[in-house]
Amino acid sequence: MSQPDELQTIMVIAELFNGAVRPTTYELLGFAQKLQQQRPARIQILVLGEDIESVALALAQSTGEDVLGINAPRLSQYNGQVYQVVLHDVLNELPPDVICAAHSSQGWDFGPGLAARLKAACITGVNRVSAKDDKICFSRDIYGGKVSADIISTSKTTLVTVQPGSFRWSPGSHQEPGTVNIISLPVEPQASRTLSTHRHQASDLDLTQAKVIVSAGRGIGDQENLDLVHQLAAAIPQAVVCGSRPIIDNGWLSYDRQVGVTGATVSPDLYLACGISGAAQHVSGMQGAALVVSINTDPMAAIFNQSDICIVEDLTAFIPTLLAKLSEAGKIK
Amino acid sequence: MNILVCVKQVPEAQAQVHIDDDGRWVTLGAGTEFRMNRFDECAVEAAVQIKEKVADTHIHILTIGPQRAETVIRRSVGMGADDGTHMVTSDDGFVDPDTLATWIAARPQAQSADLILCGAMSEDLMQGQVGPLLAAKLDLPSATSVIDIAFKPEAKSIQVDRELEGGYRQTQVLKLPALVTIQTGINQPRYPALSKLLSANRLSLEVLHTDQEEQPDTLLVMDKLMPPRKMRDAVFLEGATQDKAEQLITILSDRSLLS
Repeated sequence: MSQPDELQTIMVIAELFNGAVRPTTYELLGFAQKLQQQRPARIQILVLGEDIESVALALAQSTGEDVLGINAPRLSQYNGQVYQVVLHDVLNELPPDVICAAHSSQGWDFGPGLAARLKAACITGVNRVSAKDDKICFSRDIYGGKVSADIISTSKTTLVTVQPGSFRWSPGSHQEPGTVNIISLPVEPQASRTLSTHRHQASDLDLTQAKVIVSAGRGIGDQENLDLVHQLAAAIPQAVVCGSRPIIDNGWLSYDRQVGVTGATVSPDLYLACGISGAAQHVSGMQGAALVVSINTDPMAAIFNQSDICIVEDLTAFIPTLLAKLSEAGKIK
Repeated sequence: MNILVCVKQVPEAQAQVHIDDDGRWVTLGAGTEFRMNRFDECAVEAAVQIKEKVADTHIHILTIGPQRAETVIRRSVGMGADDGTHMVTSDDGFVDPDTLATWIAARPQAQSADLILCGAMSEDLMQGQVGPLLAAKLDLPSATSVIDIAFKPEAKSIQVDRELEGGYRQTQVLKLPALVTIQTGINQPRYPALSKLLSANRLSLEVLHTDQEEQPDTLLVMDKLMPPRKMRDAVFLEGATQDKAEQLITILSDRSLLS
């Protein structure tokens, strides 16, 4: 880390999917703004891909930040090896104090390897930044979200992957677009080739539009208990059943019903979490819910920190009781 | 073909986690049960499935952890792996992932492997770093979050599908030697056969001690641990099961969520 009175540089690695800027890029700018509040810093955006000029210009226009565009021919799809080689070549010359990328299938793929090549520290899944004396603390969740850890980098350069949904960008009042620099770096991947990027299975289910989501986690225990979750969803108007990753991995629900970083990001009026532990990977996908109600036997479950209403109960006892009460109250026809 | 699988022992998800008084690390509740990290279990299964198809495949397991962690090697051997290395740590404290990758990269079994498999992350620390760091240190092509893997012997390569966001996948070809990190859902790990588990328990493992390994400069300092911030009101409903159910119905009715 530089001395406190020096101007820091923060390099935001924009995230592209099919040539378009992903919303995580703006969250990275929100993260960079938070860092700026701790210590004066200059933000620069780096965007890497094929025919990158128009994307770079649009980013400079929409954000007011300076953009470095790297044209890499034939990089129409993400390739981890090309990212690491090109980003190393460019960043090693600078090098920025903080490099940030999304904690996503791209960021966690190229981030640690890039850090190793730059001899930089790497901190993944960061959800908060704060200052302590003259040091910056990067916070991340451990033990399934039961503990938050403040981590200090002892390296001059620190690469951070930022947990989706943790930071919000304020556009501010920039009048002028940022400057745009375009360089070309042709790199042929040697030992790793990306063949295709494709949808795994087609689905008509759009969880982003769901009004009510009843979600099952590993804590439901046996597959039979999923019936209870289905019954509960049937008793609540417009409710859809979803699950966290372990439920999908077990094949108990189809993949298009997964909520979380590798599934859907949802914002229903009600999110009813049944037996969900609350690990960051899941929480990132449900933070936008208006009301979160959680049922879990473990009073220390991390999901309760993300909940409006917390119910410490075994759901095999609680859901039947709730269904009976709903029926009594005439809520179920 | 030589396959190295890196595995880790983790506490059960329900474990009681107490932050130490100095805020530097945690102590797990008495009676905490430990098991193999689920991502790593899928990595072992993926290796065993390759071994079943490809003749002359040897699977070596490596773990770094305290004494009790050796059970994850024996379980892996019970699943079909051949032998293992236990790099014993003196305690349960935090080790910088860069240091872990340095230790693994120094092992001959890592340097001679045609394929290295790791879990995409550990369930306890969720850093997802050791695999990609190890690939960088050994200068191997790598792919993370792999949900499908096919060995292409004629091309001396593997074809993998990486899991992306929103139901997308990406197909990649990696020349061997290569490293991949395995996402859960790629397979259903088998239970070790009892007979294999018995011989696994008799197997002598390579045992090393991490305090005798290179100690690289640490890049990260675990400064302070604390309970996570409450991001919402976190109102706990009180009373008997019936009372909680009634309170919840009132809350949902007041917000017109039941009509």
